Amino acid sequence: MSTQPIIRFENVSKRFNEDTTVLDGVSFEMERGKFYTLLGPSGCGKTTILRLIAGFSEPSEGTIYFNGKSVNQTPANERQVNTVFQDYALFPHLNVYENVAFGLRIKKVKKAEVDRRVKEALKFVNLSGYESREITEMSGGQRQRVAIARAIINDPEVILLDEPLSALDLKLRSAMQYELRELQQRLGKTFIFVTHDQEEALAMSDEIFVMNSGQIQQSGTPIDIYDEPINRFVADFIGESNIVSGVMIEDYVVEFNGKRFECADAGLQPNEKVDIVLRPEDLEITPLNTGKLTVTVDTSLFRGVHYEISTYDQDGNEWLVHSTKKADVGMQIDLDFIPENIHVMRLNESEEDYDARLEAYGAADEN
Amino acid sequence: MMRGLKRMVRRMKTNRLGLRLSTVPYTLWILLFVIAPIGLIVYYSFFDLGGQFTFDNYKNFFTSVYLKLTISSFWYAFLITFFSLLISYPTAYFLTKLKHKQLWLLLIIIPSWINLLLKTYAFIGLMGLYGPVNALLESVGIRKQQILFTDFSFVFVSVYIFIPFMILPIFNALDKLNPALVDASRDLGANAWTTFTRVILPLTLNGVKSGVQVVFIPALSLFMITRLIAGNKVITLGTAIEQQFLVTQNWGMGSTIAVFLILFMVIILLLTTANERGVAGSGKKR
Amino acid sequence: MERNGKLPKIYLTVVFLVLYAPIFYLIFYSFNSGGTMSHFESFTWEHYAAVFEDKRLIIIVLNTVVVALLSALVSTAIGVMGAITIHYMKNKAMRNAMLSMNSILMVSPDVIIGASFLILFTLVGIKLGFASVLLSHIAFSIPIVVIMVLPKLQEMSPTLIDAALDLGATRKEIMSRVILPFIKPGIFAGFFLALTYSLDDFAVTFFVTGNGFSTLSVEIYSMARTGVTLTINALSGLIFVITAGLILGYYFITNRPKTPAAGVKR
Repeated sequence: MSTQPIIRFENVSKRFNEDTTVLDGVSFEMERGKFYTLLGPSGCGKTTILRLIAGFSEPSEGTIYFNGKSVNQTPANERQVNTVFQDYALFPHLNVYENVAFGLRIKKVKKAEVDRRVKEALKFVNLSGYESREITEMSGGQRQRVAIARAIINDPEVILLDEPLSALDLKLRSAMQYELRELQQRLGKTFIFVTHDQEEALAMSDEIFVMNSGQIQQSGTPIDIYDEPINRFVADFIGESNIVSGVMIEDYVVEFNGKRFECADAGLQPNEKVDIVLRPEDLEITPLNTGKLTVTVDTSLFRGVHYEISTYDQDGNEWLVHSTKKADVGMQIDLDFIPENIHVMRLNESEEDYDARLEAYGAADEN
Repeated sequence: MMRGLKRMVRRMKTNRLGLRLSTVPYTLWILLFVIAPIGLIVYYSFFDLGGQFTFDNYKNFFTSVYLKLTISSFWYAFLITFFSLLISYPTAYFLTKLKHKQLWLLLIIIPSWINLLLKTYAFIGLMGLYGPVNALLESVGIRKQQILFTDFSFVFVSVYIFIPFMILPIFNALDKLNPALVDASRDLGANAWTTFTRVILPLTLNGVKSGVQVVFIPALSLFMITRLIAGNKVITLGTAIEQQFLVTQNWGMGSTIAVFLILFMVIILLLTTANERGVAGSGKKR
Repeated sequence: MERNGKLPKIYLTVVFLVLYAPIFYLIFYSFNSGGTMSHFESFTWEHYAAVFEDKRLIIIVLNTVVVALLSALVSTAIGVMGAITIHYMKNKAMRNAMLSMNSILMVSPDVIIGASFLILFTLVGIKLGFASVLLSHIAFSIPIVVIMVLPKLQEMSPTLIDAALDLGATRKEIMSRVILPFIKPGIFAGFFLALTYSLDDFAVTFFVTGNGFSTLSVEIYSMARTGVTLTINALSGLIFVITAGLILGYYFITNRPKTPAAGVKR
C-alpha cells in the first residue's frame, strides 16, 4: 500500500456569488482505509467538502488531489468515489435490486456479473432476499442499507456519507453507528462521514475534523479532540463544557474565578489571557469547604446514569456537574478537580502552533 | 493546466448544445403560437376591410353598439360565474366529506369530458317545446312554454357546462385544508358559521379564485352556446368575434374586439391570482 | 356531517342527477324507433346501425381520432422538452417569463386562439384543413403537458441526479434512466389530457378548418343547427361509453398501489 494520502485539499476555497464564502482556504490530507468524520454545525462547510470530493461542485480556488492527481477537472461520473446521500436518493421507479445494480448497468457489466455482485452487496448489508422489494416498501433503516449497498457495489476507493443517520430514530441510529463502523472495517475503504452530531462522530471515527465557518478548527482522534479542545468553539461543540475566562499567571499556574490553581499547561506568555475548560464529569462534589470552588445548587436533573446538576458560584458563573451523587437544590457545595483536568486554551491559537507548543513542552505530563 | 481548461470548455459546449437542442421545439412553439398570434391580432386591429391602416376599429368599439355588447357580455359572465360558484362550493364541500371522495370527484368530472357539443345538443332536446322539461311543467299545471332561446336557458346551460371546472379547484383547496384548523376554531368557541366564514372560506379563497378564473374568462367569450341555446338572442364578445371573422370577414374589427377581450382577460387574471402565496402556504401544511 | 346527515346527500344527488341527465337523456332516445327526442315508441338499434353505415360520419370520426392521437403524441414530446427546459433554467426571470408564456394559451378563450391561428395560417399560407387543425391542436395541447410534467420534476429530489452522476451516469443516461422514468406518470397524464382536449375541441377547429375537413364537434354543430337526428344520439352513446371507460380505466391504473403515480396525491 502506498503511503500517499488518498485525498488532499490544498488551500481549497468555495464561494457562491462572490460574497458568500462557504469554504475558506482549507487544507488537509486523508489516509487510505480510515474512517473520517467532518463535524460541525449546519452551514460550516462540511457538506461542501463532501460535494467537492464527489465532484458535484468545483472549487473556486485551490486544488483537490485524489491519489496524488488533481481532480479539479474530473466530472462526478468519472470519479472513484460514491456517496450515501442524506435522503438516500434511492430511485423510486426502481426496485431494490435495480437501485443497487444502477452503477453496474451504467458500466454495461454483463448480466451474470451484475447478478453476482448485487447479491453480494445486498448480503454485505444484510438485505439478502429483499431484491424485488420496492423502495416504498422498505423502512428507513433498510433504505439506508440499500443506499450503502448501491454505493459500495462500484468498488469505489472512497465512500462519502452525508448525514446518513439523521433521518433515523434514536435507537436505530445507534445500531447503525455500530454497523457502519464495522462495515468500514470489513471493507477496509476510506469512509468520509459528515454529521452535526458529536456523539456519532466520537463513536465511529478514526479521525475527526471539527469545522466552523468554512474552516477546520481542529483535527485529531476523538480522544484528542475531546480531551484537548483547541478553542472555545471546539470545547463547546464537543461534549458539554464549563468555559470561563482566566489568566495564565506563569507556567503551570492559572487564575480564574479570582483564585489561582495549579494546572498542567505551559509555554504561554506570563499573564496571558486564556479560556479555561472544565468538563462536567471532571468536577467532583465534595462537602462545603473541602473543595476548590464553592457553589450553590440551582437545578438537578436525573439523567439515568448520572445527575445533571446546574450550580452557580458567587460571581454568577454557571457550573455544570455530572455526578452519580445526588445534590439538593439550594444547598451549598464545593467542587473539586485535579490539575490535569483544567484545560487551558490560548485565544486564537492555530492547530499548528498548538501542536508545536505541545511538542516543545512535552505532552508527556498530559497522559 | 491548459489542457484541463480546454476540456472544461469542451464539456461546457456539449452541455450547452445538448440543452439547446431540446429547447428548440418548445421555444419555437412559444414564438410561433403564443407571441406571433397575439402580435398578429394587435397588428390586424389597425386595418380596415380594405387593408388600409386605421384607428376606426377602435373608434367603433367605443360606440354604443359595442359598449352595450361588452356590458351585456360581462353581465352574463357574471351571472354564469355567480351561479356556478353558488352551486359548486357546497358540492365541493360535501364531496370532501365522502368516503371515496376521489372517485366521486372523478364522477363529477366525467360529464365534462363528454363532448361539449353533445351536451349542448341534449339540452336542445330537453328544453324543447315537446321535451321532458315542458312535460314536467305541464304535469304540475304550468303552461307549455318556450324555454329554449331565452336568457334563462343560456345561463342554465352555461352553468351546467362550467360547474365541474369550478368544483375542481375548490375541492382541491378544501381537501388540502388541515382539519385540525377547523377543530381548533371550534375549540376556541366559534360556531359552524363563524368557522366557515373566518377559517374555511379564507383558506380556500384561492380555490374559489382559480375557479372564478376558469369560468369567467371563457364565459365572456362563449359563442357556440349562444347560437344553439340562446338562438342569437344573446351576443357575447365571443359571438361578436366569430361573426366578424367568419361571417362578415372583417378581421380588423374582429381583431379589435379580440384585443379588448385579451385586455379583460389579463385584468381578470391579475385580480384573481394576486397574493396567491400567502394563503395557500398555510393551507398546504399537513 | 353527523348533525345534518341528510342534506348533503340530497344536495349531491341532485347535482349528480342534473349533471348526468342530459347524457342519459341522449342515450335513452338513441334507442327510440320514433324519429324524435320526445316520444319513445319502441326499442331499436337502428340508429347505431346508421352510425356505422354513414361513411361520411365514420370518416369524420376517424379524422377526429387521428388528429387527437397525433396532436397528443407530438404535443407530449414537445411539452416534456419544454417542462425540462423550464425546470432546469437557471435564470429565474427568464423562467418566470417562460411560465407566463406557457399559461397564456391555457387561459386564452378558444375564440382568441381560433381567430389568431386563423390569421397566422392564412398569412403563412397553410391550407385550412387537416394540417391547420392538427397544428392548432398540437399548439394548444403543449402547455397542458408542461403543466402536468412540471410538478413531477419539482417533486424529484435533486440528489437523485447527484446520485446517478455519482454512480457514473452520463447526462444522456441520467435523462433516460432517471428523469424520464421518474416523470413518466406526469407524461402519461399530459398525453391523456392532450388527447381529451383535442377530442373535445370545437371552437378552435371551427375557426381553422376549411372545406372538406371536419371533426366530430364541428359536424355535430352543423347537424344540430339543421335539425335533430337520432344518429347523433347513437353516436353520443358510443362516445360516452368509450370516454367513461377510458377515464375509469385511467383512474384505476394510476391509483393502483405501487405505481409511482399513487405518490402524487399523498
